[in-house]
Amino acid sequence: MKKKLNSCLWLCILLISIGIKAQETKPLIQSKLEGTVIDAATKEPIIGASINIKGTTHGVVTDFDGKFFFQTGQKLPYTLIVTFLGYKRAEVVVNENPVTISLTEEQNQLSEVVVTALGISKEKKSLGYSTQALKNKDLAETKETNFLNSLSGKLAGVRITNSQGDMGSSRIIIRGETSIAGNNQPLFVVDGVPVDNSQLSSVAGGPASRDFKNAISDLNPNDIETLTVLKGPNAAALYGSRAAHGVVLITTKSGKSQKGLGITLNSGITISQVATLPSFQNSYGQGSNGRFSFVDGKGGGVNDGVDESWGPRMDGRLIPQFFSKGEAVPFVAHPNNVKDFFNTGVTYDNSISVARSDEKSDFRLGVNNQKQLGTVPNSEVNKTNFTINSNYQISKNIKVGVTANYITTNAPALPGGPSGNRAAGVMLQFLWFGRQVDINELQNNRDVNWNNSYYSNPYWNAYYNTTSQQRNRIIGDVHLDAKLAEGLNFKFRTGVDYYNDRRKYEIKYGTNGTPFGSYAEDAYTVNEQNTEGIFTYTKKLNDDFSLDALAGFNIRNHSDANNYQKAPRLAVPDLYTLTNSRDPLTSSNSLSRLRVYSAYASAQLGYKNYAYLNLTARNDWSSTLPSNNRSYFYPSVNGSLILSEALNLKSNTLDFLKIRGGWSEVGNDADPYQLATVYNFQTAFDGNPIQTSSQRKLNENLKPETTRCTEVGLEATFWKNRLHFDVAYYNTNSFDQILEIKTTTSSGYNSQLINAGKINNSGIEIQLDGSPIQTENFKWSIGANYSKNTSKVEILDYAKQIQNYTIGTSGGVDILASVGQAYGALYGTAYLRDASGNIVVGANGLPKADPTKRVLGHYTPDYLAGVTNTLTYKNLELSFLVDASVGGEIFSGTNRTGTYTGVLASTLPGRGAENGGLNYYLNGTTKTLVNGTAPAGAAVYDDGMIFNGVYENGAPNTTVLSAQEYYKASYNISEAYIYSSTFVKMREIKLAYNFSKSFARRLGLEGASITAVGRNLFFIYKDAPNIDPETAFNTGNAQGLESLSLPTTRNFSLNVNLKF
Amino acid sequence: MLKKIAYITLFALTFTSCSDTLDDINKNPNATETPLAPYLLTGTLKQGADLYWGSTNNFDSSLLFVQHWAKIQYTEPDRYDVSNTSFTSLWNTGYATLITDLNTIINFPDAQANSNYKGIALTLRSWTFLLLTDAYGNIPYKEAGKSITPVYDTQKEVYTGLLEDLKQAQSLLNTANGAVTGDLVYKGDIAKWKRFVNSLRLRIALRISDREPALAKQAAIDATTDAAGVLSSNNDTFKFTYISSPQQNPASAWFETRDDYRISKTMVDKLKEFSDPRLPVYAQLPSDASVGTYVGGGNGLSNSDANNQGFAKTSKPGTYFLTSTSPAVIYSYSETLFNLAEAAARGYIGGDAEQLYKNAITASFNQFGITDATVISNYLNQATVKYDAANYAQSIGTQKWIAFFGQGLDAFTEWRRLDYPVLKAGPATVLDGQIPSRFFYPGTEQSLNGNSYQAAISVQGKDLLTTKLWFDVK
Repeated sequence: MKKKLNSCLWLCILLISIGIKAQETKPLIQSKLEGTVIDAATKEPIIGASINIKGTTHGVVTDFDGKFFFQTGQKLPYTLIVTFLGYKRAEVVVNENPVTISLTEEQNQLSEVVVTALGISKEKKSLGYSTQALKNKDLAETKETNFLNSLSGKLAGVRITNSQGDMGSSRIIIRGETSIAGNNQPLFVVDGVPVDNSQLSSVAGGPASRDFKNAISDLNPNDIETLTVLKGPNAAALYGSRAAHGVVLITTKSGKSQKGLGITLNSGITISQVATLPSFQNSYGQGSNGRFSFVDGKGGGVNDGVDESWGPRMDGRLIPQFFSKGEAVPFVAHPNNVKDFFNTGVTYDNSISVARSDEKSDFRLGVNNQKQLGTVPNSEVNKTNFTINSNYQISKNIKVGVTANYITTNAPALPGGPSGNRAAGVMLQFLWFGRQVDINELQNNRDVNWNNSYYSNPYWNAYYNTTSQQRNRIIGDVHLDAKLAEGLNFKFRTGVDYYNDRRKYEIKYGTNGTPFGSYAEDAYTVNEQNTEGIFTYTKKLNDDFSLDALAGFNIRNHSDANNYQKAPRLAVPDLYTLTNSRDPLTSSNSLSRLRVYSAYASAQLGYKNYAYLNLTARNDWSSTLPSNNRSYFYPSVNGSLILSEALNLKSNTLDFLKIRGGWSEVGNDADPYQLATVYNFQTAFDGNPIQTSSQRKLNENLKPETTRCTEVGLEATFWKNRLHFDVAYYNTNSFDQILEIKTTTSSGYNSQLINAGKINNSGIEIQLDGSPIQTENFKWSIGANYSKNTSKVEILDYAKQIQNYTIGTSGGVDILASVGQAYGALYGTAYLRDASGNIVVGANGLPKADPTKRVLGHYTPDYLAGVTNTLTYKNLELSFLVDASVGGEIFSGTNRTGTYTGVLASTLPGRGAENGGLNYYLNGTTKTLVNGTAPAGAAVYDDGMIFNGVYENGAPNTTVLSAQEYYKASYNISEAYIYSSTFVKMREIKLAYNFSKSFARRLGLEGASITAVGRNLFFIYKDAPNIDPETAFNTGNAQGLESLSLPTTRNFSLNVNLKF
Repeated sequence: MLKKIAYITLFALTFTSCSDTLDDINKNPNATETPLAPYLLTGTLKQGADLYWGSTNNFDSSLLFVQHWAKIQYTEPDRYDVSNTSFTSLWNTGYATLITDLNTIINFPDAQANSNYKGIALTLRSWTFLLLTDAYGNIPYKEAGKSITPVYDTQKEVYTGLLEDLKQAQSLLNTANGAVTGDLVYKGDIAKWKRFVNSLRLRIALRISDREPALAKQAAIDATTDAAGVLSSNNDTFKFTYISSPQQNPASAWFETRDDYRISKTMVDKLKEFSDPRLPVYAQLPSDASVGTYVGGGNGLSNSDANNQGFAKTSKPGTYFLTSTSPAVIYSYSETLFNLAEAAARGYIGGDAEQLYKNAITASFNQFGITDATVISNYLNQATVKYDAANYAQSIGTQKWIAFFGQGLDAFTEWRRLDYPVLKAGPATVLDGQIPSRFFYPGTEQSLNGNSYQAAISVQGKDLLTTKLWFDVK
């Protein structure tokens, strides 16, 4: 694999030199030599290997079949020096023609080549920072429909949060949140083209909110060759203002390594099941105070408008129900009524690619189709990717190429989102639920429902109240590589990422709460263009020193536009047009543009192949900043020292030892239009225009943000590469942050833009790779990573008046950046406690809320870890990935609601004598415990509970509550629903079989493999009940909040890959 | 070759188009940097009416506390089971929308807004501050809009400051000072605005009457002796009249899609006790025709008890309040007369308190379309309605409470001040039998303006619903 990677990465560079070097060869005598260079282990030809005749300047490079040809004045025998990156240098004495030369792969860190900023390949040993890469099989074989999910647990310092269900967005954070208010996700660069990863939404929590996928999920993992993570400013400094949160570099497959015509077919199927449904109780059904009888579902019967399960025992007693037309029928549990609502999701994924290359050109053409039928009924996403990647050598010094990726996504219906939206929320209706409800009765007739006060039938919602999404996207570039002189090259590229994203929201006429229905259209256009030119210069200065320098420019233009229109009430049913409206349309539109000019340079000075110094510098001019602060410069420096070479420490134990370190500074600009305070227009009233404050006070004196990062690391390999160890420590300070701080509205504004905040992140990352057992046929390898990030919000404003910045809010809990605290504090209401920590209850026996809100936790985990074990026996490979996130808290709206409504199994204790409930009778309205026997004629209840607390005078609480009162008592006390988000997940088990080449050839194939993967299989450990603690509303910074989220899914997939 | 590359580079640079300067690119195409006085005025009137008449401050809080309306589902607010996130809109919209927009008008150079705009803006700003202090108590006033963390002023400082502001507003308003457009309430009739200003001064005079009688008396005299007069007919009533969807009355919009509220049993029973002809205006017959009579919903019931009263067996508020064009009454002629009656009863001003009281009830009847003189006099002559000079607070308090139907915030304030009618907390309420005496400060004050907040509650008392405000002596 490494060999192919190397050849692919280096070929573009080598190709340029083929013609040039051939031209330089001026033979004196017409003597010929033909030969082939092959890999000693696989016997596969090596493309692009350099062959020099020792003692001359005469050199050639192998072609696509690994062949080379000499015309030389030298006479046999003579010595050839054969080099190829990743292989041991070979000196071969040639005395026959033709000749075959075998190269042995160099099994150490000295030769590893990695992709760095701007797509420049460098020897890993020369870098003063850590990078980590994943290969195609790590991404493609997982069959995740959002490929970011397949990164979970595989990369140190990278945190992935999958927000909702099986069609949702995923958030990626590298080395913690370094921006208090802004985007914290890394920049994505595909084949040199920066691409957009927004999660667009103008109607958050709006009429039918959905968790729209983040835009990077459009990429098809089958097309990805490698994914390299530049983990922070040190690695990414050349990307300038966009580097502060790291960069994910994606290289897509090309035809370069394909000799002749190759066709690859890939076909996969994935089955998904809901895996994290809450645990429901099955003893008590719908109603209140133990009473229920259905007449009209909205208060006409006994508690039949109540959407809670505090009703009668489900013991088969006869009660009229929603489907029984007034007839009393058995009131019994339907334990799987929620589970049965969900389908088994199926995803079909098929792709074909054709690739070819020859001396002058190469191309790869791929088509991928993915059809996903989700676990929520009627949910469906279809996606088709067309990719082309082609290069052509137009003259001996100039090569041009083009890449294009056209992606069309068509989702007729996305699953109902997390918000408490009655017309579309899925889990909303199941957490406000009657546990006796027979879901089959609802499935059979969408016009009836178990409750008519608040909801329409859940199938009605799923099939009629739909949100569709259609996204058409083109990502591509044209590029040119030119050799200007020996060692001096020029690269030019102009790339674009352009897409339209249209959503249509339909709410059917007659939906409960939206009696006339509604229809809305929401359309986005996003355009990101980058044009860059880079000069590179490499020169061996003398025997000891080498220079590798670069200078370039970039022009970035970005725009996004939105147009939203809604018919708030339809005139006639089932016609979804904007003109079919009873009311004037509500509408909004916006356009946002920015431009950044950049110039940059870097230099790498190498000494004796074991000491390297790297310098970078960049200046940006951004349209979003005021003209006097528009230009900002930032430098970086890093170095590496290979101690094992420099000090000659190599031994049988130690193969390689390197230390590295660096310092960098990157700037960051603002969002567009943050300089001038504006007034908004609202819908005119009867011909009178309305203007009003935007409630945001902006800042005409903004400065760029600055992030400074120091990073040191150590890398070592032992026992002939059986153990590889890498540790990194970093410390990042981000300051002058552009913060739209929430201010008390009594300041005149809801928020004000300041330029002050400072946040510190520091952390450690460890990667460990080893092969405890390695025999000819069997190999056991372990890859483990650990990362710990600690953040601290140091300052919000320089006057120190502001202590808290509100990142987000849900269910009464704020997510804050709070001075002195780690980023992402959960801030909310706590129980009122006495000096010894007892919960204080009122005279009514109910717990009291402390009027002062408190920090109740943080969403950021203490550390992350992942361990992959891979067992390989001949062609069979079995691997397990376990990953863990330890520490951090989450506020669970699912538990809060489900406790209040009595649907959760956790509300069983105390409900009835069999669950430990106390016997009491009513003395007037006072619940009095039965001591011995109750007074004659008094009804005795067996669901008495006493809240564990003390009265204000310190005496223990003795006031009896009904279970219903007990479980509702803490609804407004956030502390009661804060859970540790620690989890250990069996993330992935994979079994792969690669058919041997000889077997494949017998079938007429070049190669074949079959892979079975199980993902998100089970929790080995978790604290938070009833939810997946790895969940969120969206990809924003307001994590640590959960409410009525869709269950995450467990996926099983089978994949077949055939190469012709 | 180098030449070719230079050409290509040049071509690429032109291709990305440098025709816009970076400054042009950053000019916001989505909103204006230039506000206009008439548009801001229309906006504040509309948004002020929405705030006063809409759900959060009116029918989901204050109207429940004074038992005008009751909840038949989701009864938490009716049981006072609310948190400090429940009362944020009055604060946030009051300050960041109304006061900020009105300050923009007040601070305009004269060329952008004549002094009538400024007088109107100052009047509306005073009304907004009054709503805020009545509901929360101590509030940022002097530093509001001027500091990022404004300090709170005591209620006394706010009320006395507002009296000065209104004096200034009165002097700014003059028919000779130029025309005003965008005025959806008084259509630019400056004389009416001047009467509204004096009526607000009278309202504030009574607010402070139990604490600062001398100051109250002077303010009442100033307000009633000003040449412009006070509101003098139902035509002068300060109200915002809605139109059709989406600009319909907020209560009407609510009932279009939801069914959460009933008229309170307390109100229905009181109207029945007085045989009050306003009952059919205030309430609808239950949708279940077999009930045949007006039935109020109980306040402060548990969700299931509330639900079990039957959605079809209880009365919704009257259609007078629930049509899309229903007005948001903010200061009625009737209230003016009640205020004059009380000022007279307290001896602040001359006049026959009993006659003013009767006139006030009559004005309320007229406001709701009841004009039959016999019906009115029969009502006024009932022993239960007759003015009781010995306990004017009971007579005025009870009748004002009825007349305020729908104006939750002012009904709540005047009920706290006059202490009549006597209301009893519902059975499932959570304040140990008490009814709220104020709104919580928004929870965000603790995180965003913590020091000022702590200073304020150390003066005023704990940030609880039951903490009595300065004006509310008993």
